[in-house]
Amino acid sequence: MPKSFVCSKGGFTRCLVGFFLCCSVTMGWPAPRTPVDANEVLERLPVKAGDPDASRLKQYQQAVNRAPKDAQTVTALARLYFDLAMTHGDPRYVGYADALINGYPGQLSAELLFVRSLLRQYRHAFEDAKIDLRAALAAQPDFAEAYGWLAAIALVQADYAGANQACTALGAAGAPTLQAGCLGLTLAYTGQLAQGYQALEKGLARADDPGNRLWLLTRLAEVAAWQGRTALAESHYKSALRLGLTDAYLRAAWSDFLLDQQRPKEVVALLDGKEASDPLLLRLALAHQQTGSPKAPALVKMLDERFAATRLRGDTTHRAEEARYALQLRRDTGSALALAQANYEVQREPRDARILLEAALAAGQRAPAQKVEAWAKSSGFQGAPLGQLLTQLATLPKGNP
Amino acid sequence: MSRGFWGQGVVRAMAMAWLMLMAAAAQAHKSSDSYLAVRAQGDQVSVQWDIALRDIQFAIGLDANGDDQITWGELQQKQAELQAWAGSRLAVQRGGTCSFRQQGLQVDEHTDGSYAVLTLAGQCPQRSGPFSIQYSLLFDVDAQHRGLLKLDLDGATHSAVLGPQSGVLKFSEAATAGDQFVQYLREGVWHIWIGFDHILFLICLLLPAVLTRRGGGLSSTGMRGVGGFREASVGVLWVVTAFTLAHSITLSLAALEIISLPSRLVESAIAASVVFAAANNLRPVVQQRWLMAFCFGLIHGFGFASVLAELGLPANALVLSLVGFNLGVELGQMAIVAVFLPLAFVLRHTPFYQRGVFRLGSWAAMLVALAWFVERAFNLSIFWWT
Repeated sequence: MPKSFVCSKGGFTRCLVGFFLCCSVTMGWPAPRTPVDANEVLERLPVKAGDPDASRLKQYQQAVNRAPKDAQTVTALARLYFDLAMTHGDPRYVGYADALINGYPGQLSAELLFVRSLLRQYRHAFEDAKIDLRAALAAQPDFAEAYGWLAAIALVQADYAGANQACTALGAAGAPTLQAGCLGLTLAYTGQLAQGYQALEKGLARADDPGNRLWLLTRLAEVAAWQGRTALAESHYKSALRLGLTDAYLRAAWSDFLLDQQRPKEVVALLDGKEASDPLLLRLALAHQQTGSPKAPALVKMLDERFAATRLRGDTTHRAEEARYALQLRRDTGSALALAQANYEVQREPRDARILLEAALAAGQRAPAQKVEAWAKSSGFQGAPLGQLLTQLATLPKGNP
Repeated sequence: MSRGFWGQGVVRAMAMAWLMLMAAAAQAHKSSDSYLAVRAQGDQVSVQWDIALRDIQFAIGLDANGDDQITWGELQQKQAELQAWAGSRLAVQRGGTCSFRQQGLQVDEHTDGSYAVLTLAGQCPQRSGPFSIQYSLLFDVDAQHRGLLKLDLDGATHSAVLGPQSGVLKFSEAATAGDQFVQYLREGVWHIWIGFDHILFLICLLLPAVLTRRGGGLSSTGMRGVGGFREASVGVLWVVTAFTLAHSITLSLAALEIISLPSRLVESAIAASVVFAAANNLRPVVQQRWLMAFCFGLIHGFGFASVLAELGLPANALVLSLVGFNLGVELGQMAIVAVFLPLAFVLRHTPFYQRGVFRLGSWAAMLVALAWFVERAFNLSIFWWT
């Protein structure tokens, strides 16, 4: 049974509930039921009373109830919701923040426009997010974070001129650390890996804030891996992990690195128990598949249910992950290719290019990855393992897209 | 997940996060959904509504003792409040507002945790007419919440995602059985007309109907026109009836999912049937064309069934729609015969018919069908338009 160690730490009831939760996810609950014991615990709330988030949440919610028109109070709560969504990978908080801002009476302040842009980019509504960010900057021209997000969105959309512009503005807005990170990534995404790496290092030397350090270390690790310097990449990932912050992106990136290095056991150790987040569950399932573990099918089935649930509500934000799941876990090349192509219409980072290339190669079709070939040519990006995949693709005959 | 890390400065204690994840282990993090299953038969409506306990907690509060756990007892205590809250956020209309009485409270599990299951029974002012649903659960506190609706309206199923912008969702009355019948009849006609392989097979069998063998030899060169129209039409009637009977049998068996054959096999066999029918005109082997029509008709029925499978048969009028489709195919077929037979009859004595249409036509049909066969059996593409 998975998580049997929980039983030795928690009580028997908890263990039992845990067992049934696992079963309900892996086997599907048969039908609605009427519990017999009034004390049966049906649900554990995600934020516990004792933790600082819970008291802040309560405090901010009460403040908003007292002063629902106060922009600062509403911003603080909306921002907290967004941060909680990020740290825990729990999108419900995004919905709360959205409703809070929707219900705000009167014109949105620069801060509220900024938070709304975060929510919009989270849903991959990048154009709407940019509109909010520009409006926030019009109201408050030295809003460094807004430039930072403009750059982040530009990089996702492979708009490197736009990213450069935002990086320059970050310097003018007095945010040198963010600027260094911004420039470093833009350089790396346009094929200047060594210069990009140096710029990110420069940013790291300036960064004090642990959150910023974690971000820069993660991205340094990624650039080092693109350069083929795996030992260096590993040391950056390990430094980032030593900061002791919960960060779903770092865990996912580190897991991908380990999977590429054929070190699935470390991924299992890292992600066991973190199945709540779809991206981490995907990596855990891939790791179990690599080790040939008998747990793999149950995790794949769990992913089946997750993706089915998001499809039901018409949510398309996880298409990159779903493409990987289709290609590597379900071996469904057709679906993988369609998903990776659809994702590439919206997101064009190197990882989005990679899954589309892998799907196209698996399908033996060159035409669907035409946009990636065009991007690689125009951007000059040359990180591993994309170069190798592109070479393989070039051996396929050109077809009609 | 798209996220950057710009200016993120929130410090989290790893241990705390670990503890939280432990508690939530195996439950997915996903946006909030409720599952709304509505079944309407005439003026009677029954609803099963699954709402996440986490969402109920956020909207009206469930954790009475503040221990961050929701027990069955705590949920039961709030039953009345929950029912009033949820009930005020769902409006169903059929000829006016339907009134509901709450029936029960149960629990169920979905991928992201435990759900309260509310069952409601309702009565609408009218037994027929358009049916509408207005849904507004949680939208005031969670703009990403969605209601996932599954509606069974007089036997026809609909599904929809209910969001803040959905407003009042109107579902027109399920098509009556008569409407369905007519719709499938039309589809049947349409599909024989665009099914070149079926038409070609039929024509190959009909071509010799206006000719008769001189002296009973096996050579196709010794053909002459039949004497009377009666003789010609009797032959046609036999062929058409046998073909119809055969493909009706297999179409029904396949549509009702009693037998299923791989489509590549069926499609290849259909092409082969045309090759055989055309070759039989040129060098007769089988004299009883009705027998050929029957045997190969069985295969063609499976072909029609694949078309029908794409259309889907409505659950509430399964047999009627199947009969409609089949009749449509017959009507389409009769139309082809009605055009073909008089023309062929008039031209039957001419060398144009005997050599041009009959011999050359059979050769052409055989070659085309042979190419179809190769395409279908070996999954190749020979014709540029296919």
